[in-house]
Amino acid sequence: MITDFPAAPLPLPDPAELNAELAALGGGAMIPKAARRTLFPVITKEDVFNLMLAQRQAPEKVVADFAEAYRSYVGAAHALPTASGTSSLHMALVGAGVQPGDEVIVPAFTFIATAQAVVAAHAIPVFVDIDPATYCMDPKAAAAAITDRTRALMPVHVHGLPADVAALRALADRHGIALVEDASHAHSAKVGEQVAGSLGDAAGQSLMADKNFPLGGEGGIAFFATEESYDRARAYLERHGIDYDMSWVAAAFGASQLKRLPYYDEIRARNAALLGEALRETGLFTPPHVPDGHVHAYNMYRTTLHPEAVGLEDIPVFAVKEAVHELLVAEGVPAREWQNTPIPCHLPFQHRDGFGNGYPFTLNPGAVRDYRPEDFPVTLGMLDSTLVLCRELRSPVEYERILRYADAFRKVARRPDAIRKLVETRDYRRPYDKAARLG
Amino acid sequence: MELFDTATVLARVLTTGVVMSIEKSDRELPGLERLLTKQTGRARAVLVNSRTAAIHAALAGQGIGHGDTVAVPEPDAATGRFLNWLGINWLGVSVEDRGTAAYDHVALDSANADQLGELTRAATAPALVVDLTGLGFGPAAAVLTDDDKVWARAERLKIFGAYDLRTMWTQEEASTSLVPGVQFNYRLSPLVAACARMALTQAARPAAPTGARS
Repeated sequence: MITDFPAAPLPLPDPAELNAELAALGGGAMIPKAARRTLFPVITKEDVFNLMLAQRQAPEKVVADFAEAYRSYVGAAHALPTASGTSSLHMALVGAGVQPGDEVIVPAFTFIATAQAVVAAHAIPVFVDIDPATYCMDPKAAAAAITDRTRALMPVHVHGLPADVAALRALADRHGIALVEDASHAHSAKVGEQVAGSLGDAAGQSLMADKNFPLGGEGGIAFFATEESYDRARAYLERHGIDYDMSWVAAAFGASQLKRLPYYDEIRARNAALLGEALRETGLFTPPHVPDGHVHAYNMYRTTLHPEAVGLEDIPVFAVKEAVHELLVAEGVPAREWQNTPIPCHLPFQHRDGFGNGYPFTLNPGAVRDYRPEDFPVTLGMLDSTLVLCRELRSPVEYERILRYADAFRKVARRPDAIRKLVETRDYRRPYDKAARLG
Repeated sequence: MELFDTATVLARVLTTGVVMSIEKSDRELPGLERLLTKQTGRARAVLVNSRTAAIHAALAGQGIGHGDTVAVPEPDAATGRFLNWLGINWLGVSVEDRGTAAYDHVALDSANADQLGELTRAATAPALVVDLTGLGFGPAAAVLTDDDKVWARAERLKIFGAYDLRTMWTQEEASTSLVPGVQFNYRLSPLVAACARMALTQAARPAAPTGARS
């Protein structure tokens, strides 16, 4: 039988390993190869039992009960469970009143589903740059992109940090347009005491099994502030014969996971704090910025590199990042870029074929632009200078594992000489000069 | 399928820890693909999360999109509305005339789950839509085809144009015609796929009714 039980335990951290040779140069790795598998999600006996019980209920009831429990947790007025995050975003836009040919303002840095959901709604995504501190939609850039055809702002709570909702809400209200959240990274994220998903006129959220709050495979949920919006989304599905229904299997798994979500949240917050403290000591790395009053859900953890802090200011930051990336991976830290190109420069938004023959872009030629990477300098700067951890902060990450990840960052930061040498021997290219990556 | 058997399948998959459709080590989705290709005699299978996703994938796989006109096999009212939403002009054709259709369509449930091969033997369209929702595990469907290009396009439609999880979702393609315009997450859950596979397997070869000795 194949099981998810760990194959080998990790040794406790050893201070002597910090000064050992880098793994990339022949030393031992901070996380040995046999212990690198990161288990996620946590699956318990309760999950198995819940699925067995669910078999004896009507499928619609299993899905409806799950949706109601999660709606209540989020504090949204209405919830529509769906088959995926993309379909939930599509429904959020429709519920918010987005019509074919409308413009929806989205950030240039997000997962491609944000913008594709706009196309699914037969509308036109208009891309704007991000804030340099939070990496979420820049309200000033959004304000500059509003036209008579703009129907909604769709900020993304990137990596789990809520966007500047207050500024975006004020902007939306000023122009009489909707605020639609993409909360796909932001389960349990908060502004004050208000949970992401309940901050806008509508919201979409992925619940796929690699998210902080995982369902049994694929799923999503749309939230609505008014009954009118909720009814509009449901009527749309009926009118167009679209099947976006969530499977009861996915929902039943989510019902028991929901009860453990506060535990998962605490573990991630603890791990993020521990790692952040270690990164600050290094000089080379800084942890994510979290504005006062915001609770970051840390679906992903993006660290910023500062080459000048370790005497590498003469090397382009993207090259330092590439070298550090290589060194961390050799130590057994699965760091990644997670995106290397602004979304508007991905092929679907360069070709703009849409559903075929250019639809819906043909509905509003005035909103169509030939975007270039240079149109989004803040996004480019972030892509040049940051690295990401994904599952590595999540429960059931063992305490010794997160300590060892922290030690791996410390170990690499102590070796600017090795970083410099690696840069000299490699021909690193800027992130967006390579093939566009979805994740 | 017996509740006990469904419970066994679900418990087995949960024990592996792999419940995500984009997990490289998932064995459930490829397992269902193999079963469907074997039973239908088609070379390729694309698993998706609903009947409408399969219709979309079958058409997009052939490069049929907004503004195009196709013949489709006797669509019900909901399918007609869905085709309108895709912006595809359609002409319903009877079973006798289905040789001209862009896809063939079969819906499976517990009563006919053992007849997939028989039900699809006369199918001649470039793509075969098999609706698995009636098996009882939630919305699920597949597109079967012998055409590699139909398969490649349909696969990319369901996963944002990605084609290789080993390269971390890179979007560089040899042929740009393979890159979908609009893209969805139409991916099927491994847990649902595992249950559907068990249901189809047992329908073809019923399990022993009682204990290990029978």
